[in-house]
Amino acid sequence: MPKNSKGREIAEIIPQKCIACQLCIGQCPVSAIDMDGGIARIDPEACIGCGKCFDICPVEAVTFEKPRKKKMVGIGQKTRPLDDYRGVAVFIETHEERGADVSWELVGEAKELAEKLETRVLGFVLGTGIETVANKAVAHGCDVVYMVDNPLLQTYLSKVYGRILVQLCDQVKPEILLLGATPLGRDLATVVATRLETGLTADCTGLDVDAQNRLLLMTRPTFGGNIMATVLCLNNRPQMSTVRPGVMKMPEIVSNGRGEIRTLDFEAPDEVLPRIIDFIPKAAEVEGEDIAKAAVLVVVGKGACDARHLSMFEELARLMGGTIACSRPVVEAGLLPYMRQVGQTGKTVAPKIYIGVAVSGAVQHLVAMQGAHRIIAINIDSNAPLVQIADYALIGDYLEIVPKLIKGIEARMRSRTG
Amino acid sequence: MGRSEDNKLHIVCCVKQVPDTAQVKIDPETNTLMRSGVESICNPYDLVATEAAVQLIERYGGKVTVVSMGPPQAESVLRECLALGAEEAILLSDRAFAGADTLATSYALSQAISLIASNDPVDLVLCGRQAIDGDTGQTGPGLAIRLGYDLFTYVSEIVGVNLDENTITVKREIEGGTEVIEGRLPALLTVELDLTSTRYASLPDMVRALRQAIKSWGANDIGGSPERFGLKGSPTSVKEIFAPPVRKGGLVFDSTEDKDQAIEDFLDTFFEKEMELLVELLGSEGG
Repeated sequence: MPKNSKGREIAEIIPQKCIACQLCIGQCPVSAIDMDGGIARIDPEACIGCGKCFDICPVEAVTFEKPRKKKMVGIGQKTRPLDDYRGVAVFIETHEERGADVSWELVGEAKELAEKLETRVLGFVLGTGIETVANKAVAHGCDVVYMVDNPLLQTYLSKVYGRILVQLCDQVKPEILLLGATPLGRDLATVVATRLETGLTADCTGLDVDAQNRLLLMTRPTFGGNIMATVLCLNNRPQMSTVRPGVMKMPEIVSNGRGEIRTLDFEAPDEVLPRIIDFIPKAAEVEGEDIAKAAVLVVVGKGACDARHLSMFEELARLMGGTIACSRPVVEAGLLPYMRQVGQTGKTVAPKIYIGVAVSGAVQHLVAMQGAHRIIAINIDSNAPLVQIADYALIGDYLEIVPKLIKGIEARMRSRTG
Repeated sequence: MGRSEDNKLHIVCCVKQVPDTAQVKIDPETNTLMRSGVESICNPYDLVATEAAVQLIERYGGKVTVVSMGPPQAESVLRECLALGAEEAILLSDRAFAGADTLATSYALSQAISLIASNDPVDLVLCGRQAIDGDTGQTGPGLAIRLGYDLFTYVSEIVGVNLDENTITVKREIEGGTEVIEGRLPALLTVELDLTSTRYASLPDMVRALRQAIKSWGANDIGGSPERFGLKGSPTSVKEIFAPPVRKGGLVFDSTEDKDQAIEDFLDTFFEKEMELLVELLGSEGG
């Protein structure tokens, strides 16, 4: 058992396990813990061996051998009566009088969570001309839909939408509030969580509940997708989460949905609001080139970053009914624009077929494309990380492989149609 | 809060020191993170925010103040921003801030910026869209709400500032297109990576940045309620951490020996195994 010079039994950090969350630093009563090179370090001479760092550490990176049971820190310090809060609410995002796909996915997920909690699914619909959306919310499984229909809500302004959602939460008191992790949803969720002083977990890819404690278990990728973290919001309500589109299953429509729709009034704020001067929709052409929506992506990697061969990759993409994308070094080299970058600092994609040409597969790239249905990797290096996870790996020089693929695919298509 | 008398801009940039996630690798044997020797860098989005702020100052006059919350080592990212052209740097460093989630972070930052503004009114706060370690994108918007500033997220272009009208016009990248929107100052923007590209600091600027004093503020300096800082002020807590599921590799076709055969084999296998998918994708031509 480690002891310091004063003979105290002390706690130690296991560097390989430390995730640099710094929770122990805030917990240490004698300020004995510091961050050192991204890892917590306990000063053995300052440590008094209280074990508080051991209790709080979420990943068991602290060794502490005094006989003692790990305590659950936090639970039991209720700051407000949580029992008033019931129901799983979903903010239903609307664009041009249509509900966003991710919102319906969330209603489906909310239904499952609500069943485990034995509570109701609530829908919050804001906008103008949204009655069909409210009806659709009922058809997808909402028990009660709260609708605020007003011409002033035609376009999203965080101030206005935020205020209404805060009012709704104060009035309806849902225990859980889910939003899609879209630009609008992530913006709005933060506004609401800050006003309500409650916990918000961004961009979740998994949700579950601890029904006994009525806690939402929110799982999300963090640290550039290198680790998954499950996050709790113990003492504040609602427990809020934004959820990545396309992760949850689309629920089936029930024609005999029995939910009711309640219409609420909207008071126009009397302050000066931002003014939307213009909206420039993405041209249909550009929209078709949106790598986040393409069914097939031919992804150019650092090893194929050569302007002379771009047309060849485009041809392969066209042949498969897709478009081209790239990894970060290709954008940095100026060969393709940022809008085509797949990766942590680019776009997250989940095409039906992903074809990586000389993409080595850095972690930041992999986290943004692992949702692809099928992965094909073309690479000279059979040890490249992308090759390791590919469903089909073609080892060799892409300059020889790609033209043959194009010919081979064309021939097979011809023989099928012919 | 209005602009100072001289009709120049005062911009505050919030920056974060993060581990360079590009250097992080997964040990394929043990499936754990290999972080030894991973450098700490300035969050790339925040560097873009600082560069954009400096460009605005070059256009309209005024000054840029950079603020970071973190351990004493986070000073290095502030110096990087000073080298880009920021005039003043403040580090919020206190054990009381440790373990903060985004709600507690935006609280501490809002206290600090209110203090900065009480001496020198703030017109604009610029933040990165998100930090590359946490990827939440919540600190900036939360800060705007706490400060009561107009909030503009996902900004891809700052069209202009009107000092007489006290307004700012920006372009935002949102679902389906680009929004051009005008709001009042003070405002808070969270910026996209392609808003601008960061300049290379000149040697004299780097030397100046290294020599400049950086203010360090603790919880007592910025005031506010101690129970809203750090761990105590954070409603969320991490329950567990685990490795992401790893996709298993599949079939390998090695064309380094027999080129034509390997590619033919691949195509035959692919068209046989994935026929359903191909028919779905290629529709009429395929099916």
